[in-house]
Amino acid sequence: MSKVKQQKPLCVWNPKPLKRVKPTNKKRLREREKTNPFSFLGQLIPLAKTGLPLWMLGLAADRLRADMNRLLSFLFHQGILDEQFLQLQQLQDETSPNFVSEVVNIYFHESEKLLRNLRSLLMDREFSDYNKMGIHLNQFMGSSSSIGAKRIRNVCLAFRAASDQNNRAGCLSALEVLEHEYCFLKNKLHELFQIQQQRVLAAGVRYPMQH
Amino acid sequence: MATMHRVVQSSVSTSDATTTSYDGLTSCKAADIVISDQFPAGLRVLVVDDDITCLKILEQMLHRCRYHVTTCPQAKVALNLLRERKGCFDVILSDVYMPDMDGYKLLEHVGLEMDLPVIMMSADGSTRAVMKGIRHGACDYLIKPIREEELKNIWQHVVRKKWNENKELEHSGSLDDTDQHKQRHDDAEYASSVNDATETSLKPLKKRSNSKEEDDGEIDNDDPSTSKKPRVVWSVELHQQFVSAVNQLGIDKAVPKRILELMNVPGLTRENVASHLQKFRLYLKRISGVAQQGGIANPLCGPVEANVKIGSLGSFNIQALAASGQIPPQTLAAVHAELLGRSAGNLVVATDQPALLQATPQGPKCIQVDQGVAFVQHSVKSESSSSKHFSQSFAPVEDVASGFRSWPSNNIGTAGPSNSGGLSSQNGNMLIDLLQQQQQLQKPQQRSTVSELRRSINVQPSCHVVPSQSSASFRAGNSPVSVTQNGSYSRTAVIDYSLLSSQSNCPSLNIGQVSDVNLQTTGVLSGYIPPASVSPSVSSCSVNADNCASQQVQTSSMTFKASRHLPGFVHSTSNIPDPYGSTKSGDLLNQEPFNNLGYINKGTCLPAKFAVDEFQSHLSSSSHGKVFSENIGTRVKQEPSMEFGDNAKVGIPMLQQFPPNDLMSVFTE
Repeated sequence: MSKVKQQKPLCVWNPKPLKRVKPTNKKRLREREKTNPFSFLGQLIPLAKTGLPLWMLGLAADRLRADMNRLLSFLFHQGILDEQFLQLQQLQDETSPNFVSEVVNIYFHESEKLLRNLRSLLMDREFSDYNKMGIHLNQFMGSSSSIGAKRIRNVCLAFRAASDQNNRAGCLSALEVLEHEYCFLKNKLHELFQIQQQRVLAAGVRYPMQH
Repeated sequence: MATMHRVVQSSVSTSDATTTSYDGLTSCKAADIVISDQFPAGLRVLVVDDDITCLKILEQMLHRCRYHVTTCPQAKVALNLLRERKGCFDVILSDVYMPDMDGYKLLEHVGLEMDLPVIMMSADGSTRAVMKGIRHGACDYLIKPIREEELKNIWQHVVRKKWNENKELEHSGSLDDTDQHKQRHDDAEYASSVNDATETSLKPLKKRSNSKEEDDGEIDNDDPSTSKKPRVVWSVELHQQFVSAVNQLGIDKAVPKRILELMNVPGLTRENVASHLQKFRLYLKRISGVAQQGGIANPLCGPVEANVKIGSLGSFNIQALAASGQIPPQTLAAVHAELLGRSAGNLVVATDQPALLQATPQGPKCIQVDQGVAFVQHSVKSESSSSKHFSQSFAPVEDVASGFRSWPSNNIGTAGPSNSGGLSSQNGNMLIDLLQQQQQLQKPQQRSTVSELRRSINVQPSCHVVPSQSSASFRAGNSPVSVTQNGSYSRTAVIDYSLLSSQSNCPSLNIGQVSDVNLQTTGVLSGYIPPASVSPSVSSCSVNADNCASQQVQTSSMTFKASRHLPGFVHSTSNIPDPYGSTKSGDLLNQEPFNNLGYINKGTCLPAKFAVDEFQSHLSSSSHGKVFSENIGTRVKQEPSMEFGDNAKVGIPMLQQFPPNDLMSVFTE
């Protein structure tokens, strides 16, 4: 036990999620350098709080960016998102730095309500009011298309077509597809936001390297 | 801009647009909107939508446009808000389907009480819904997803409404002042080219309207002038009375005087009725544009026959009205012939546009148009306000001289027949007759005309800003209801075409395309709608058309500002038919008229191709992503002569051209 206390572990992997670290000042840096496992490289390798050298975290930033790009291109490629989402991203700026995630979260919140309403309407034995369903559907379609959720919007169109023909079975199947698509989109967008969050953190940690 | 210096009024700093929620309306009172250098920044917009997602997005977009935004998720609350602060808003954006109050009801209330321009929004872009919006008096109807470019243009409704108001109440003497005002209104740095266009157009507009009033001995001059009369609010009941009176008299015989007598409403002047009648006729024209154009190709050969035809209309024979309204440029050639027989004085107007006439590549067509302009103006004797309105529509036409030859032709097409429909005089009949004649003559030459028109649009591939702004002004002048309405009318026209025989489809198709394209400046997009509607075999065709058209309506106000958006729009447009099978789309795209569009219009060739891609597979969505960041110009150069003969081949090789690296480069910051 004493051995563990005396030795500073070579590499501390902080199991907690990355917290934003302030750029370390030179004094602390020098201190850390004494037990720097990478000192064999003969250069001053600054370490982050986690003990990992900053340049490794810097790589993470690149990796994260690549991940984000891959995810986005996948989403566009598959037609899950469309150009409207890009517009949304463009609306994000310094005055509203989290615009996209805010809007998307609102969208998720509202959509879940709408989907629940739709399902309860359709499952109802005495279901006959296609108009009411149409209103919910319309709202869902409006917000989905405003987000740029292309596939969801297309499914909504099919849903609406079935609803126009008073085709209950068609509506039900469309609703199922809708729910599936919605879950998929939600997962993917959550993933996207996670990556973006991590990028922000990674960028913050990299900060001292750049100076 | 030199015009900026002419703005005398001091500008309230409206550049910092602030959002206010319903609870905190401080900016409302403070923002006393004065026409400033920065118009239309600072426009006070009230957004009403129960969908919080859309509300938030719109808020941000309107911020970007530097407008003052107030959002409100409930209609009742919004109405109270409006009542409390009457002078505090310039324009209202309202959703159609709201839980507590129908959007149309809100629209009516606002129209009755406050008379502010109201723009409807909805995910539902069906003709029925849009029509309902028009009927209830909406200034515009936007279809979700709403893009920022569409929001940028909403100021036109404010200006137009004010303009029309002033034109109605003021007379030639005081008109000069108001026109000066309007000039300053439009001198916004925001849309510089538009302003140049509208500004320079205002002068001939003024001249023309003044001269016309003098020439025609306008009835307005008889009435006592200058004093501003209280604005008559056309409530639903009043309008119903009006409509019944017009029905009784017959649309062609409906003279304001007699309508006034029939209505028997105290306090209503002949003038009010006249202006309302004009608007009503425009509205009829627009909705009757749906009617079968091909069916109207009757062998009418003489004015007499036309007279008979019109006479037999009785009240609201929408078909005939549609016919007259539907055949813009070709018929004006005949009108031109008519004109030449008339007094040369009327051709003064034509000479106002010498540049337009001379520089145009499609000389004959344009001349027709211009003459048609003069002709219609000359023939407008019965209604003063209609003439003013008409001048408005021509004003932007002149200034699109830089390249949009086809614009004027189409502009006149929609505006001209609207007036001709209102003419019970022989002039109108002749116009209609000539229109029909021309249409018949036109049939064999459709392809070439379409290509001509396309070529004209092609002149502008690099001038991104001008066309878009011109389009704004064009719309501003065209009619009280915006282009989106025109888009919808031409859209519905197209849907009807699908019901006709394929033969008659062709001519109408081309013409419909022409109007669509001219309205939009992206020729390709319109190509989607005709194909979509012309394939009657597609069971979900109507939905296709609806959706395509809904996209069209959106894109009708699109600008070229970021050419990158073009593929995106096309992308979104073209994807709609996806659920219904790409094969159908492929067939649709193989329609010849569409091929024509694709061939000639280099400027918009690229977006079309991307749209084509979409029909084939989802893969192209990635290409869209690439396109957004890449220089589209280069791509255009690469494939200038690509044909739409085989769309499948078009799509795939293009995709393969994209190096995989581009995928990543799109998203690099």
